[in-house]
This record gives sequence, structure tokens and C-alpha cells, in this order.
Amino acid sequence: MTLSAIHRARPRDPLPEALLGELRARLGDRLATSAAAREQHGKDESAHPITPPDAVAFPTSTAEVAEIARLCARDGVPMIAFGVGTSVEGHVLAIHGGVCLDLSRMNRVLAVHVDDLDARVEAGVTRKQLNRHLHGSGLFFPIDPGADATIGGMAATRASGTNAVRYGTMRENVLGLTVVLADGRVIHTGGRARKSSAGYDLTRLFVGSEGTLGIITEITLRLHPQPEAVSAAVCAFPTVDAAVRTVIQTIQLGVPIARCELLDTLTVQAVNRYSKLSLREAPMLFMEFHGTPAGVEEQARTVQELAKELGGMDFEWATQQEDRNRLWQARHDAYLACRQVRPGSRAFTTDVCVPISRLAECIAATNEDITRASMPVALFGHVGDGNFHLVIPIDETRPADLEEAEAINRRVVSRALEMGGTCTGEHGVGIGKLDYLDAEHGDAMSVMRSLKEALDPRNLLNPGKVIRVRDS
Amino acid sequence: MQDVVENLSRLIRDAASRRRPLCIRGGGTKDFYGGEIRGDVLDTKPLRGIVSYEPTELVISARAGTPLVEIEAALQEKGQVLPFEPPHFDRPPQPEAPQPPAEGQLSIAPVPTEEKLATLGGCVATGLSGPRRAYAGAVRDFVLGARILDGKGAELHFGGQVMKNVAGYDVSRLTVGALGTLGVILEVSLKVLPAPAAEATLRLAAGPDEAITLMNDWGSKPLPVTATAYRAGSLSVRLSGAPSAVAAAAKKIGGETMDATHAAQFWSDIREQRAAFYAGNQALWRLSIKPTTPPLDLAGPQLIEWGGALRWLRSDADAKVIREAAARAGGHATLFRAVDKTAGVFHPLSPGLAKIHRRLKEAFDPAGILNPGRMYPDF
Ligand SMILES: Cc1cc2nc3c(=O)[nH]c(=O)nc-3n(C[C@H](O)[C@H](O)[C@H](O)COP(=O)(O)OP(=O)(O)OC[C@H]3O[C@@H](n4cnc5c(N)ncnc54)[C@H](O)[C@@H]3O)c2cc1C
Repeated sequence: MTLSAIHRARPRDPLPEALLGELRARLGDRLATSAAAREQHGKDESAHPITPPDAVAFPTSTAEVAEIARLCARDGVPMIAFGVGTSVEGHVLAIHGGVCLDLSRMNRVLAVHVDDLDARVEAGVTRKQLNRHLHGSGLFFPIDPGADATIGGMAATRASGTNAVRYGTMRENVLGLTVVLADGRVIHTGGRARKSSAGYDLTRLFVGSEGTLGIITEITLRLHPQPEAVSAAVCAFPTVDAAVRTVIQTIQLGVPIARCELLDTLTVQAVNRYSKLSLREAPMLFMEFHGTPAGVEEQARTVQELAKELGGMDFEWATQQEDRNRLWQARHDAYLACRQVRPGSRAFTTDVCVPISRLAECIAATNEDITRASMPVALFGHVGDGNFHLVIPIDETRPADLEEAEAINRRVVSRALEMGGTCTGEHGVGIGKLDYLDAEHGDAMSVMRSLKEALDPRNLLNPGKVIRVRDS
Repeated sequence: MQDVVENLSRLIRDAASRRRPLCIRGGGTKDFYGGEIRGDVLDTKPLRGIVSYEPTELVISARAGTPLVEIEAALQEKGQVLPFEPPHFDRPPQPEAPQPPAEGQLSIAPVPTEEKLATLGGCVATGLSGPRRAYAGAVRDFVLGARILDGKGAELHFGGQVMKNVAGYDVSRLTVGALGTLGVILEVSLKVLPAPAAEATLRLAAGPDEAITLMNDWGSKPLPVTATAYRAGSLSVRLSGAPSAVAAAAKKIGGETMDATHAAQFWSDIREQRAAFYAGNQALWRLSIKPTTPPLDLAGPQLIEWGGALRWLRSDADAKVIREAAARAGGHATLFRAVDKTAGVFHPLSPGLAKIHRRLKEAFDPAGILNPGRMYPDF
């Protein structure tokens, strides 16, 4: 099914008046039904058309989420959890209508245990908010998707960011969860112990389930000590290929590089313009090293040597915190910057991840797709884990643009799958990647479907995402 | 190899149609671990061999029946390791260590000693990791993908060989530590890492409170600590990494340096439970708790690992008392080795969680034939 077909085919019943009344009685003005509020919650950061829910609730506690879930379950009404809507695969679109639960007002940091290196937060706390809270504690939370996403949304999408090579993704950094199930029951998974709790690893099952198995209200996270020494560097390369080869050799040597990001020439131009930088307009690596002063120097020297052998130029250091922040903010804004390459456009992104040994080949072939495209397509990504993106700016008034973007995506995905990769390394499935899951998993989809049925037998939690159940 | 898989699949389908339990077994080295063992043995040893190993890729894929020693030898040749240091438990444990019920009582025949070789499948199914776990991550953190046969005999493939994958539910990791109750593991892809260039083990005299404080203190600093163990006044810490980093950290930590051979033996004895602490017949409990918990006020000797997050306890104390102490410390207690397991091996599940567990079990194994009772008595 094409995306446009998904948007057209949506059987939806209006919300029962009684339910609306009960929700309003409990939430007061924390239940919104205005067109503006609904539209704002019917879109994400992608090119998918706005698909609003019927109502938006702003719960402030687990008990309230549970209560809303009980009422919705009673009436068979879909529930869509919402963080801040920065996902990019149509994750939060209300394709079957229903109630959106905006968790952004559940934004308390409940506890920070400096000695145990963990913290407990409500789902609506954002990653930047948490790190501000940790300021001065000597600890930090490393997962940093470009947007200032909520921890709940990040857990739900199993997000990663620029630090994943060294610190892992949400999968490795969530210790425990409080989850409201489809019928309103509340469960706690995991705990503060490092080894996950007895029984099946439910924490990992909910992490990455995109709101389709339960609504996460609280998260226990693992924190990391601030490295003693940090240094960042940028290096320009004659070709994307040379940059990628430098990364591959770095990883294969076991250099514990913390961050390692590739930007192609178009991305660098866009970033220069958007973030007012003056980087040399060539393929670039942004890197960061964490450790002891001696360790950092050793790592950096090794990488510099590798880069030089492959034609790296202008290896430049950013040792001041301020310069580093500017650099990484610019990297985080790369997506927005690339969108501006074609003013007024919306962005269609791809998100494949391949084994490191196939990365150079995969990117080279993708570059040929880019050259043939009718619009300026930027390529960048977290190449340290084999994950890269294309940003394809599309003009909404031109249907041919969307078609072309989808065709590019299909080519990129099937190439990645042929190479033993995945259709999505970090953004998730939403509705955008639904069609590729069968190709990637084959028969295993039946088990995923039965997991969905086991936890949400009536298909009320974010229906139509991740997995197609019966008629969704 | 496909004929081996087909044969296993046929055995599963057959067992499912007759609702006869199957006991999945590799080297049988972990027969002592978990709940009841019953049913016809489904031997995974014929699933042997490394399927692919590209050292430059830092990924190895091997069949479930492959002995861990074979995998570790292949990695060692290329200067790489399994970072989570899985325990093998394949040498005869201390003479008096608690064993499964003597022959005759065990419903299946024990594996002859010479065939007792820990396999990859057992390592993943039990989800057990060694001393490096608190610093490098657990087995489940290194599993990139898995191929399994579910309880209907269907061959399924989850994840792959890539470092990041968010295409759907994280099923491959759900099978880690599930003790075979969700499927027969056929093949696993693991992320591996280069072996550390340098290593040093230091030993410090300390009381238990001080030892816990020190371990946590090191853990919160950017030091290349990769193992800690405390027992009876003696705190051992292993550092691994670049020579300069190890040397710098050793200076900071102080204490006495153990010679390399002795150190290797020491950590291997901890990992394989051959240290004197593990000898004898008394029940061995494993408490996984928040690392800063002060020494637990429970009867019996304790050995502390993982920066304070893991407490081994030899004790005849009431299971309820031990489990409550673990829960108060934010964790749970497992009856790791014991002759009498009537208290239940794993921390009991709350009714809500138990219901989800049963549903998941049904999703993978509707006939309930795969290792029933190995994790919890009722599924
Ligand atoms: C500029 C930019 C850069 C980005 N860079 C990255 C990147 O580097 N890495 C990366 O991984 N992603 C990246 N993303 C994608 C996005 O930021 C992540 O997917 C993020 O985790 C979404 O969080 P959110 O709070 O916005 O969630 P939302 O978009 O609101 O929701 C995302 C999904 O999670 C569900 N959900 C939200 N909260 C909960 C909850 N509490 N319980 C259950 N389900 C919930 C929703 O139903 C939905 O399915 C980027 C996006 C942008 C716009």
C-alpha cells in the first residue's frame, strides 16, 4: 500500500459524546478538541499530511493516563501517545482517529541517584531538560536525537543519536519503565538493578514499540559520568568515500570514538548557511573523543593519521566547550538546514543502516541515486554505526515529488536489505516503513503480530503503526 | 545444516501435536540453573559451527550448538573477545557445589563429563554474563540478531548483523534470558570487540562498606575499570584498555598489583565459580540490586561483583527474607544453585506481569512444550 493510500483509507467513528463528557469532567481544560490543538497533534516533522485525532488529552500523572486508557478501552477508542511530535515516519498521525495523549505535561525529573548512576523521569521530560537538571552532578544522559525529544518518545522509538557508537541507544540505557497497558492496567518493568528483572525482558519489548503495546509514563535511565577530557574535531575529505573509509578503519581498530558523523558537501553548505559556520564545503566528518586526557589524545592522534592517509584536510580541533556546543548544535540542526535548501519544502527522510563493511559501497551507490534525482538531496548520518540518512526536500504542491522521493527510498531500502541491513536504523517504522517490514522480517512478522495481539488484543494503541493487524 | 533444522522442526511439531514437553539442551553445563527440567531432550549440539566471522566487521554469527570455546578461540586468533565474558560452567564444579538431583532423580540423563561444553545457545538462553558485564554490557546488549524455531516449529529470523535496527519489536533480545521457553535458538549474531591492549589487576585491603564505596566511586569516574570483586577484606579491581590509560588509572587507584597469570586465574575462578567461596552444598543466591546498597544484612558469606550491583550469597536463610531484602534494594534475588528449589528459582512475578508473561509464552509456544517449568512453574 502506498502512503497516500494509507492516508485515504481510514475508517473512523466519531468519539462517543459520553466519553468526551467523562474525559472533560476529569481533565477540565486539559482536554482539547479545538481544530488548532487537534491539527498540531496530527502531524510530525515529516512530509506526511496532517491527520488529526478527535481530541487531545494532557494528563499529568500515571493514574490519569490509566483512567483515560480505561475509558477509551471501554468504548473501543484508539489512543495515541504523543511526546513532542518530532518523529518522522508518521508515528503520531491519528489514521483511525481517537484520543491523543500528550504527555508533555508529565515533565518532572522524579529522582537522580548520582552514586547509582541512574535517574527516574516522567515521560514528558525532554533530553535537554534532563541534561540541564544534571548540570553540576558530573553525570550526563548521552542519547541525543537531533530534536529535543521527550524521554518517553525516545524510549518508544528506541532512539539514538550522535553518541551511540560509544554509549549505545535507548535500548541499552533504559533500566525500567512504568507502562499503562491497553486496558488501563499499570505495570512496572525492570528496576534500578543493572541486570534486568526476573522473567522476560519486557523493558526491551516496550522500548521501540512506538506506542503500540503500552503508554510509557515513567522511565528509569542509566546515566554516565562526564568524561574527564573531551575533544572534538572536524576534518574535510576529497570524497565521501574517503571520509567513510576513515570511519570504517577507526571502528575496526577499536578506537572508542564517542561521536562520528558524516556530512556530504550539500549538507555542509546547508549547515554553513543555517548555523552561520564557515566550514570548507567538502565532505566532512564531525568527531568527538571522550576519556582521560592521555586517552583522548591517543585516540585523536590515531584517527588523524588514518584521515591523513585517506586525503583528509584541515583537521581542526574544537577544545572549548562553547565551540563544541556550536558544532554539535549545527549537526543536530542538519535536518532542518537541509530542508531549507529548497525553501517552503517538507522533508522526506530515509534511514537505512548497513554492516560497516558495506557502508562505503552502500553510500557510493546511494550517491548515484542522488545525482539522478531532480531535487537537491543531502546525505549525512551517524556513520560510526553504519546508519545514514537522505533528506529529500519535496514541494507539497507537486505530487511527482513525493513519488520520486518514495522511489528513491525504495531503492535505498532494498539495497540496504540486500546488504544485510535494515530499513530503519533509528527513526522507526510508524507508517512510513510498514511496507518494508515484511521484506525484512518475513515469517517473523507473524510473531510480532501475535505479540501485538497478546498485549493489545483490540488494537487500540496507536493502531496502524509498526504492524498491520487485521484491518488497520 | 538445513536438514538438522528440519529435523528439529519436525520434533517440535510432533511434540506440539502430542503436547509432550521438550527439554532444549546444548552442552548441559547449565542444567543446574533454573526450575524443573523435564521432557524429551532436544539436542542442539548438531547445530555446530561458525557461520560467518568477519573480524573487521566486529560481528560473529554462529550456530547455537557451537561450543563457546570454539567461538572464543576463533576470536582470540584475531585479537577479539566476547566483551560480556560469559561463564561456561563446563568444568566439573567444586566437588561439593550444589548439583542437580542425583542421577535417577533427574528426569533426563546427565551429559557425560567429556561432552560438557558450554554452547552459544545456552549462553544466550540463560543470559548469564561474567565479571565485565557491569562495565561492558550484558549478553543481550551484544545480540544483534537471532534465528529461532518457535513452538510451532516455524523458523523465524529477527534482527540481523547491523549495529542499530528499529524495524519492529526487539524480539531477538526477548529470547535472551528466556531460558528456551520462547523458542529453540538456532543461530545468533553477536557484536564483538577488540581485546584490550593492556590489563592490570590491583588488590586493596578494605572493609565491606569501604569496598562498596570505592567500587561505586570508580564507576562514576571515567576509569577503564572492567571488573571488581570483593570478598572477606580483599577488593580486586581489573583495568583494561590502552597501556597509558591503564597505567594512569592504576596510579590513581593504588593497591598491590597482581601478577598477570595469577590475575587471569583469579578472574576466571570468579567467572566460572571455581573460587573457594562457591564450594560446598549451601544454597547460592544471586542478588541483583542497586550498586550503592550497603552490605546486606543477611546471614551467610557474600561475594560482591559488578561495582556493587551483584551480590552472591551463601545462605540457608528463608527465601522470603532474602527476596525482600533484594526488593528493598531495588532489585531481585535468584536461587542460583541449590539442592532444594521449592522456594522457586526466580523472583515471583506480580499478577499483572505474570499475565503478560503467559500471553507472550502463548504467542511463541501455544502448546506450551518448550522447556515448561524451567523459568516459572506454570509456563
Ligand atoms: C531534526 C530532527 C533530528 C532527529 N534526529 C534523530 C536522531 O538522530 N536519532 C533518532 O533516533 N531520531 C531522530 N529524530 C526523530 C525523533 O526525534 C525521535 O524519533 C524521537 O525519539 C521522538 O520523540 P518525541 O518525543 O518527539 O516523540 P513523538 O514524535 O511525539 O512520538 C513518537 C512515537 O512514540 C510514541 N510515544 C511518544 N511518547 C510515548 C510514550 N510516553 N509512551 C508510549 N509511546 C510514546 C508515539 O505514539 C509515536 O509513535 C530526529 C527528528 C528531527 C525532527
